[in-house]
Amino acid sequence: MAGRGERRFLKNMPGWRASFNPWILKLPNNPERLAFVLHRVTGILLILILFLHITVTTTPATRGWEFWVEEIRKAQGITPVTVYFFIFAGIAIFHGLNGIRLLLVEFLGCCVGKPEKPKPPYISATLKAPQRTLLYIVFALWIILWMIAGYIIFT
Amino acid sequence: MAQALKSAAKYPPKTVRVKIKRYSPETGREWWQVYEVETYRGMTVLDALLQVKEKRDHTIVMRYSCRMGVCGSCGMVINGTPRLACQTQVSMVASEENPEITVEPLKNFPVVRDLLTDFTSFFEKHRKVKPYLIRRDTQEQENPKTEYRMTPEELLEIYPYSLCISCGLCVSACPVSASDEGFLGPQALAQLWRYTADVRDEAWRERLEIADDENGALKCHFAASCSAVCPKAVDPGGAIQMLRSALLKYKLGLWKKRKISEPVPPLEPTGEKVPLPPEAQTLPGVDLEAMEREPVVIDASKLLD
Repeated sequence: MAGRGERRFLKNMPGWRASFNPWILKLPNNPERLAFVLHRVTGILLILILFLHITVTTTPATRGWEFWVEEIRKAQGITPVTVYFFIFAGIAIFHGLNGIRLLLVEFLGCCVGKPEKPKPPYISATLKAPQRTLLYIVFALWIILWMIAGYIIFT
Repeated sequence: MAQALKSAAKYPPKTVRVKIKRYSPETGREWWQVYEVETYRGMTVLDALLQVKEKRDHTIVMRYSCRMGVCGSCGMVINGTPRLACQTQVSMVASEENPEITVEPLKNFPVVRDLLTDFTSFFEKHRKVKPYLIRRDTQEQENPKTEYRMTPEELLEIYPYSLCISCGLCVSACPVSASDEGFLGPQALAQLWRYTADVRDEAWRERLEIADDENGALKCHFAASCSAVCPKAVDPGGAIQMLRSALLKYKLGLWKKRKISEPVPPLEPTGEKVPLPPEAQTLPGVDLEAMEREPVVIDASKLLD
């Protein structure tokens, strides 16, 4: 609360919420924003999973190989372990595929819209460029590979 | 824009509820205030706000000027999307089923009062990228006697970026600017690329070093929201990716500006006549040959009388 007579500007920044909520603004024709948010979320989850992975893979050292082999043998069908693997596969596949797309677009300038004379309906060149197709390919491949991973994990 | 053209042809609801996010800098209070506005066909959100200001509540503070999408002053978040209020038809954002329009100040800009935002930092960042042509020969630049050669293809390389009206919608939509005040932002970076790619400019190394700064191009993560909201299709997102690509190659020693244009003297008059097309006909009583022999002199002082 500002004091009487004192004027203060309002800081109007959504902060980190803008990185995790794709609907904080209604942005038409912008699936790249969804990919951006998913990339951030999956990146953070991968870091968390990395710690979990280190903890899990040290089990043979702490509890012996027999225990480890027995636990892996039990992981058949739908169990907490296989569900975890399934979620991990989804996260890793999306982050990897989208990472390749971002490397191509951001560092090689590949598939970005070339400058053109704006004409109606005034859509920015990049939103019509092949990078959009690349993004849809990433989403499609993600779903397909995730389903294949699920089939392998659960059977 | 296509949506705007379609909306212009249809009628908005008879009355709309304009819900404005207000802010008082004296008390620090924020609140929503709702006003009923009678509409007409072709009414823009800016018109609706001005009607509220004229007839209902003159304390509403906002910035606007040209009312035709040229000055870039009336950027606001309308129904959750950063838009220019003067280019947004009421019929685009309100319908008979949902006759409510929410209007908020642009995000990622400090709010001075109500819908008025402070652009000081925005223009400081713009200034930081040196948005002007720089030549090594400062004498030639300060006292130009000639022009720089530039082909239409070379102009097209920078033309869309030069259409930027500095409305700030791109910065408002940017998720990186939302969490990092230091980030140069899509507008400044797009302008940085616009001058770096300009064949008439010689300060590309200097500008690439600015882009390589911790607050520069590498902070962009290509959400492309800037390009999605740009009212002039300037495509800041694409410009930043081209800048990043050039920056990477430059740091690897693989990129340098292909061409710097040289000053050329203005064309000498050749005396060559451009013939009239065969279908062209002069008005009755006009003798072109006589006019060439004795050019018509118009006395400006007589026109004033």
